[in-house]
Amino acid sequence: MSEQTNIRSFFTPDFSNMGGNLVKKTKGDRVIWAIVILLTLASLLLVYSSTGSLAYRMSKSNESYLFKQFAFIILGLLIIYFAHRINYTIYSKVALILFLISIPLLLYTLLFGVQLNAGSRWIKLPVINMTFQTSDLAKLALFMYMSRQLSRKQLVIKDFKKGFLPVVIPVGIICILIAPANLSTAVLIAGTSFLLMFIGRVSTKHILATLGIALIPVVLLITIAVSTYDKQTGETKKLPAFLASGRIPTWISRIQTFVYSKKDDDNEKLYQINQAKIAVANGGWLGKGPGNSTARNFLPHSYSDFIYAIIIEEYGLLGGAAMLCIYLLFLYRCIRIYKKCPYAFGAFLALALSFTLVIQAIANMGVNVNLFPNTGVTLPLVSMGGSSFLFTCLSIGIILSVSRNVEQQEGEEALKKTKQIAKEEAAAVVAV
Amino acid sequence: MEIKKDILWRVYLCFIGMAVLSVFVLGRAIYIQQVQGSFWRGMGDSLHLKYLPIDAERGSIYSEDGNMLSTSVPIFDVYIDFGADGLREKQGKRFKDNVDSLSISLAALFEDKPAATYEKELKLAYKNKERYYPLKKKISFDQYKAMRDFPLVRQGRNKSGFIIDPRDKRINPYVLLANRTIGLSRLNPKQNVGLELTYDSLLRGTTGQRLMRYAAGTYMPVEGAELDPVNGKDIVTTLDTYIQDVAQNALMKMMVNNNSLHGTVIVMETATGKIKAIANLGKQPDGTYIEDLNYGIGKATEPGSIFKLATLLSLLEDKYVTIKSIVNTEGGVKSFSGLRIKDSHLGAYEMTVKEAFERSSNVAFAKLADQYYGSEPTKFTDHLAKFRLNQMTGVDIVASSAKPTIKTPKNRSWSKTTIPYMAHGYEEMVTPLHMLMLYNAVANNGKMMKPYLVSAIRDYGVDIKKIEPQVLVEKIASDETLAQARECLKAVVDSAHGTAHKVVFDSLYSISGKTGTAVTALDNKGYNKGNKIYQASFIGYFPSEAPKYSIAVVIQNSRESKLVYGADVSGRVFKEVSDHIYGHFINNTKYAYTAAADTSMHVSSGMRSDLGSIFSYLNIIYRDSAVSGAWRRMQLVNNSASMSTPADFQTSSAVTPNVIGMGLKDAVYLLENKGLKITVTGRGKVVNQSLLAGTNFTKGQKISLLLN
Repeated sequence: MSEQTNIRSFFTPDFSNMGGNLVKKTKGDRVIWAIVILLTLASLLLVYSSTGSLAYRMSKSNESYLFKQFAFIILGLLIIYFAHRINYTIYSKVALILFLISIPLLLYTLLFGVQLNAGSRWIKLPVINMTFQTSDLAKLALFMYMSRQLSRKQLVIKDFKKGFLPVVIPVGIICILIAPANLSTAVLIAGTSFLLMFIGRVSTKHILATLGIALIPVVLLITIAVSTYDKQTGETKKLPAFLASGRIPTWISRIQTFVYSKKDDDNEKLYQINQAKIAVANGGWLGKGPGNSTARNFLPHSYSDFIYAIIIEEYGLLGGAAMLCIYLLFLYRCIRIYKKCPYAFGAFLALALSFTLVIQAIANMGVNVNLFPNTGVTLPLVSMGGSSFLFTCLSIGIILSVSRNVEQQEGEEALKKTKQIAKEEAAAVVAV
Repeated sequence: MEIKKDILWRVYLCFIGMAVLSVFVLGRAIYIQQVQGSFWRGMGDSLHLKYLPIDAERGSIYSEDGNMLSTSVPIFDVYIDFGADGLREKQGKRFKDNVDSLSISLAALFEDKPAATYEKELKLAYKNKERYYPLKKKISFDQYKAMRDFPLVRQGRNKSGFIIDPRDKRINPYVLLANRTIGLSRLNPKQNVGLELTYDSLLRGTTGQRLMRYAAGTYMPVEGAELDPVNGKDIVTTLDTYIQDVAQNALMKMMVNNNSLHGTVIVMETATGKIKAIANLGKQPDGTYIEDLNYGIGKATEPGSIFKLATLLSLLEDKYVTIKSIVNTEGGVKSFSGLRIKDSHLGAYEMTVKEAFERSSNVAFAKLADQYYGSEPTKFTDHLAKFRLNQMTGVDIVASSAKPTIKTPKNRSWSKTTIPYMAHGYEEMVTPLHMLMLYNAVANNGKMMKPYLVSAIRDYGVDIKKIEPQVLVEKIASDETLAQARECLKAVVDSAHGTAHKVVFDSLYSISGKTGTAVTALDNKGYNKGNKIYQASFIGYFPSEAPKYSIAVVIQNSRESKLVYGADVSGRVFKEVSDHIYGHFINNTKYAYTAAADTSMHVSSGMRSDLGSIFSYLNIIYRDSAVSGAWRRMQLVNNSASMSTPADFQTSSAVTPNVIGMGLKDAVYLLENKGLKITVTGRGKVVNQSLLAGTNFTKGQKISLLLN
């Protein structure tokens, strides 16, 4: 099957034999598919368990969030399916377009976005009346675009002007636009970008230099946080006027909370993380069992940012370890795709998107066990719905698209090989 | 392929990096769980479980005649949590949609602020996101019930943010009546006073407990882990609201007129020792009088001449004198070891002991006591001890009772003048209740009863404990002594020379008693002239022949008081109280109230059908002169009724109807049909209406009804 027919078959789908076709046409790495199914099933269980308190507060039935999540999963699976049916080379162009769209979108969000938890990170889509976090789109666009740039510039990658700048400038733009409203996401994106640049053979010299520059504001922030912390009262001293604007005080106080808090401190800043720790502590090795969490009643955002704590509480350290292994397995499978993929763009796409997801997952889990300061990233595919869930599905769909093409190529090669063997055998027979 | 290999090791390195991070995450989880585990689990339990006390209902206090003197009613404090998710979701749509109608409803219910003010305040609080905005405190159950149906409020706590905090409030329906004795119930039970304190453990009940687990946004009770509260018991006092009312009023009247400092009236039932009334009033800096202290029970003072009864009883009992013995008052002045004792009326010499008592001669009693007990003072103090003047009265409200001081020869301050001074009521401190007990014992044939305030403990309307009268001393003196003493006490009122004759004597029934006018020091400044004030007392019983009630009246006058003497001040109060009691309980021919209306004719209004069914139920024949219309005014004379429709009952007429005597339902129906707007206060039947019956009104005009 050529690429042409592939695209055509996507745009003019054959609905006549949908059921059988759907399964037949589902291609790509079976293990990744299995992981997706496994994680979404886990999310159903966890979301149902952890939204009880939210449902009560919103005066909704307990099942309403379960159905909502179920709808999200169906939608997500459809996205994966369609995304993986598209030939990934198309994404090279899509990457450029998405990247160009995301810049004005981020700007718009920053200026007019909906305020949720004090940072304006969201915009409301006019027709379907759903808020979505523009940084999710920008993140996906950036990594797709980076894959494109990295693959294209491989031959001149060590060159500052021709290789480095085309890669680093998009990263800089996106991070600067996201940072004011959502610093932790910006930091996470920057970190992932550095990792990708390292993988993409960008000169280590250049990476370190950029890292150095990028760290300046971070170090500055930490210094300010440490210097304005009043150890007697445990509160932030009065900040100078230029620091007291926007979300800067929030960042400072979060860093202070992470650096200075002790476990017996009892203050509101620590409430969330203490509740998460209580959940972890209550889990034991095997957990309390599905639906038996108590922390869900106290832990704000237990269905999104703090779902890993609930996983450990209900399924124990064993469940928590299993969850980690699943993400690592996912990463490993994506590396396999990379190894098999003959084209640089596809290979980078698989790497970039899988590393992002896994880094996000580990960041979420790290926050849950208080390894990192509180950021507010979700656990991919597991946390309750929303735009980030759908973007995650899109990423996976793209990875599977690469995988599908790799399989196809392998199939064609194998076909060629058997044909050749058959030919040779035939020749041999003829020779005999 | 070179490039790909170069990339591959980098990828593996990063993968290893991820794996290492994963191990850190897991390690951290293990550390939290296994190393710090117990700390966090403990913290979890303390946060997620709590014991919620379930308050027991505090018992009520009743008067003996069944009136509620003190009871608890639920009141509600209303707060709003403007941070409630339901209120703020969709940019506060729910709040904005409802704030207008809610304000109007609140303004209509509480009538304290216009709706616009409510709206402004609510919006401001919403803007400031107040989490515990106090909307209104101490609203009644009825108001709370009405408020529950208001816009927004009816959507429940999560959506409206309304927080209702129910509390119990102690109210005394009879306000001032004996409220120092009934007492005050405060948040901290240790600060209670009166019966509320003494019987606090009974009234309070036992607080229950419920183990609550936080789940699904609220605390839910844990099954099987609750301890039910035991509601407080009710207490039935010996107080009688009628007597109490009379005593209170009589005392108040005298004190206001005479500008007195403080005073008390105690009424005791002779045969039982029941305290039927106890009124206490003290003057406040602003000139008003309130029950600020339990003077009758809680304040021991030098009794003055009322104490001469004790001296007389001792002398008679020891047979040193009879009431006919002659005593020389030496012109009314005599010196004892250099200290002069004076009578208030000088110039008298030889008289009988009885005369000395009725004239209240200080010299006579000082002299007699000095003569007979001067050498053996313990004989005298032993009598006083027998009269239980040296110990606590034993009345229920222990904490507010005062301790008396009766000297004995062992006291360091005992001197040669102590006996003559004690004999006429000085150098000793007793409460009015102490003296009343003694007088009551004389009235009760020598049987001294324990004064008491609580006659029964009641639980759900059933008496679980009855408190019977208790005898303290079977016989304080011989019958002979008692007869003579009673004769003397009667002479104080009956004899023309008696100190109380002018004020207390009544031709209809006979009163016995004794006056007392004690000089007391103002604010412990000593007895110097300028600081001298008088304590006026009268203690007695009636009817003299078969005493039913004993009454003590003790009033502390001020320097501005016009009346000073015991008879003039306290005697008058005594007489007013005894008159009422006599008329009401003993012989109600003379003092029956004329206020009761002639009951032979009844006028009432109501629906024709209602009246009709009442009459047929009561088998009363009635005539209906009206042809149409639903409303009738009926007259019932001598068991035959007639009904008519007055013009003012017709819906079309713009004349205010007379709704007095109607139930609220009828009145509202009638008035609203005529187009009037109604406000109502009180409950029961209409007793007053703001628009006079028969006057014209305009549609939409307001009329307020007073129910009772």
